[in-house]
Amino acid sequence: MSKPKVALYWCASCGGCEEATVDLTERLFDLVEAVDIVFWPIAMDFKREDLEKMEDGSIDIAIINGGIRFEEHEEMVKLLRRKSKIVIAYGSCAHLGGIPGLANAYPREEILKFAYEEAPTVINQDRVRPMKKTTVDGMEFELPDFLEYLKPLDEVIDVDYYIPGCPPTPDLTWEAVSKLLSGEIPPKGHVFGSDKSLCHECPLNETKPDEIKLEELKRPHQVVLDRSKCYLTQGVLCMGPVTRGGCEALCIKGGMPCTGCFGPLEGVYNQGAKALSFLASVIDIEDEEKYREMLEKLGFDPIGWFFRYSLAKGMIYRKKGDGE
Amino acid sequence: MSSEEVKVEGACPTDEVRIGVYVCHCGLNIAGVINVKEVVEYAQKLPNVVSAKEYIFMCSAPGQDLIREDIKKCKLNRVVIAACGPEMHEPTFRAVLEEAGLNPYVLEMVSIREGSSWVHYEDPEAATEKAKDMVRMAVARARNLEPLEKMSGEVKQRALIVGGGIAGLASALDLAERGFEVHIVEKKPVLGGHAARMGQLNVEGRKVSGKDLVDYLVKKVKDNPNVHIYTNAEVTKVDGSIGNFTITVKLKPRYVNDKCTSCGKCVEVCPVTAPNEYEYGIGERKAIFLPFEGAYPNQYVIDPETCTFCGKCVEVCPEGAINLDEKEKEITLEVGGIILATGHDPYEPPVGEYGYGLSPKVITLHQLKRLLSEDGPTKGELVIDGKRPRNIVFISCVGSLGTTPNANQYCSRMCCSASLLEALHIKEKYPDAQVFFVHKDVRTYGKDENLYWKAIDNLVKFVRFEESPKVTVGKGEVKVEVEESTIQERLVIPADLVVLVTGMEPPKEIEELRSLFKVGCGGDGFLKEAHLKLNPVESLTGGIYLAGTATGPKSIAESIVAGSAAAAKAASLLSKDTIEVEPIVAVVDEDKCSGCGICVSICPYGAISLEKKEDGTRVSKVDPMLCQGCGTCGAACPSAAIQQNSYKDKQIIPQILAVFER
Repeated sequence: MSKPKVALYWCASCGGCEEATVDLTERLFDLVEAVDIVFWPIAMDFKREDLEKMEDGSIDIAIINGGIRFEEHEEMVKLLRRKSKIVIAYGSCAHLGGIPGLANAYPREEILKFAYEEAPTVINQDRVRPMKKTTVDGMEFELPDFLEYLKPLDEVIDVDYYIPGCPPTPDLTWEAVSKLLSGEIPPKGHVFGSDKSLCHECPLNETKPDEIKLEELKRPHQVVLDRSKCYLTQGVLCMGPVTRGGCEALCIKGGMPCTGCFGPLEGVYNQGAKALSFLASVIDIEDEEKYREMLEKLGFDPIGWFFRYSLAKGMIYRKKGDGE
Repeated sequence: MSSEEVKVEGACPTDEVRIGVYVCHCGLNIAGVINVKEVVEYAQKLPNVVSAKEYIFMCSAPGQDLIREDIKKCKLNRVVIAACGPEMHEPTFRAVLEEAGLNPYVLEMVSIREGSSWVHYEDPEAATEKAKDMVRMAVARARNLEPLEKMSGEVKQRALIVGGGIAGLASALDLAERGFEVHIVEKKPVLGGHAARMGQLNVEGRKVSGKDLVDYLVKKVKDNPNVHIYTNAEVTKVDGSIGNFTITVKLKPRYVNDKCTSCGKCVEVCPVTAPNEYEYGIGERKAIFLPFEGAYPNQYVIDPETCTFCGKCVEVCPEGAINLDEKEKEITLEVGGIILATGHDPYEPPVGEYGYGLSPKVITLHQLKRLLSEDGPTKGELVIDGKRPRNIVFISCVGSLGTTPNANQYCSRMCCSASLLEALHIKEKYPDAQVFFVHKDVRTYGKDENLYWKAIDNLVKFVRFEESPKVTVGKGEVKVEVEESTIQERLVIPADLVVLVTGMEPPKEIEELRSLFKVGCGGDGFLKEAHLKLNPVESLTGGIYLAGTATGPKSIAESIVAGSAAAAKAASLLSKDTIEVEPIVAVVDEDKCSGCGICVSICPYGAISLEKKEDGTRVSKVDPMLCQGCGTCGAACPSAAIQQNSYKDKQIIPQILAVFER
């Protein structure tokens, strides 16, 4: 019997997800032992042509990380979809848009203008912009176009499973892959991780009082956190309650509050809005003026706080440019 | 994703759903603007709609018949009524469904009257389009409505009344006379609250004192076998919910039993003194004392805070009524309803505010009332610093109308009348006294208005201010400086006595009270009514009613009215054997709940608690009897683990999606 075929690919991502795959360490050998890696551009010498040559549906599992920001991403994932039986969106960017999805707060034109003209480190008097097609010495070159917005993977192709995280933990990755390889197939659309929020597995959950009332909010650098007490009750925004568990509470154990990379739970339509809603519910300030003062002192950044990984996934998330 | 294919657990299979849509003309209220026929035709084409009809008044008997017959004929299992808002006729139509054999909760009312025809009467075409949108949304929601069963609980036909002041007594008496067993728990060692020490009152010119009213009520209450009185007692725990509360009451030791004949021998030998709180700090009392003459129970009491337990009183007591070893006791009461008549504290100005605390010549209205009372410390003689004052200046709105930083923002209602009554009292008793009434406003409203005119006739000098007056305390001299705002002149009034007309503030222990009974407080710190106008004596928590100044400043008459009203509300609960509660409550999915506790923190009714499971993790639990279905927890639940019956995501989300499905 031939070994299952696995493809790995990256789109708009930082490379951390690839790093996380390598972090499987010795288990990577078990993986290579168990499967045939037929496509993994970052680690092995495969070209697009190689993929195109494969038969449709011949790959068993395609693991794709990164959001969709360039035409090339779109083409490649559509191709991978065609060639694969199972597609996994791997990591926050493929799952929810992730950090690159924060750029959706600005229209394309504004991003390009800043990056190529206005950024303080840029000198570009001729205002040259990357072009889709250009001719140099009679030779025509083509670049993939920068798309209007960043999209999570499932807005471009059909996705079977999700492995969340920025990046996903090696244990979760291993658990998901070994489950799929052993034929333990979850229902389509399943997000690996816990079915409950992080609080459930958080070692500090039992220090949380029944009632939470916050009189002040603080950012992690504004306070010395007591690492033996629920961070939220110390006034620091912890996305734990609104974030899927399954990460082993690594950030919490490392002394930092949860930033929400595992995304929302089943049934939550908008992680950021939900976060805003739960936080607003436990802030115990009646006076509007005092509220404003507190937010001022805090340097309130709702998109960065609540939508850090999920801005591209919400119901209302794209800022329109003029005339677009 | 369309509203029909929302991916939610347990959504009804669409092929089974049979919806009837009934569009009401409401006479011309709707049909005068909206093209009802067009809306009905539109509704007929919507998915799952098997019947759509119109009628001039759906709520009328023939209208109801039409729906009932249709339900049977078309085998409907969901009903949408496009008419008025649900406040008025939801119960009507729920009954219609029930009579036709349907569960009453598969009804959706959509208010095309308030939401469209009334507000868009200038644009009938747009109003018709909007009505169609609203009907489409209602159908999308109705598709996933579920049958619900009403829940019921037993009612213990007894009441707890917290506070034995005038409001508590009034409500206790009303309930007891209707045959209900009543338990009054009063924190102080005596009944009567502030009213018992309010001196004379304005009762249509007759001389009636607060004490007279208290005596009258106390007599009736203590003679009624249905009433159980616990003084020197405090509620320490409240369990259960509407109809079925278990109350733990701590009975503090009084150290003196009912053999006491109030002979007073113990007081003579008691070596310890303390300021007398029953005289608002005027004069002193001993550690063993009778709070005031004719108090109920008329029995001495030892204040353990000041008593040194020297035992001298025990030696002299001829009746052997004193037992210094008496211990605290605890009892539990099982009641169906609770009336909180927990009262107020008189506003206590901070030292230095208007010279208060800097000179014996600056006193509060409450202290003046004690000085002028015949049962007071001076037997009604107004003597200040050994002398009878001639120039007396009242400064009104101390602690009210935002005159000082600590003051309440609004009027305390009773103080203008109470102080003008005392001003007249002084004028009558000492005709040579000069009385100035320095005020921000005079609010002797209603039947007390005669006090104002009488004060003018009796030459009380009214001085109006906009900027708070200044009281300077010099060597034995007190002056009141005020910018008279009518004549626009600065006046300096030398005063032998300054009376600060103090208002009311929430009692110091209001926060404990609030969390103990799980009732809300308003921004002013007083307990909050469920609705200021519609439910002024009900709290937001079912089965807990509010009386007297617990909800804010009131006169004695108003407190009694509130006491009786709370009793009436409580009686309508207590007269039932069981109560039914709406099944539209929050429900927790334990498989999703992570025990984060957000819901517990925000539930305004204290209906949610965290329960520890065997594996040590926590899950939240909603008490359906306490839950009022406000939906706050469902909105805040970060895990979408809380869903509210009839307002589940699978019901709301399709409704929202349907907005865009034209």
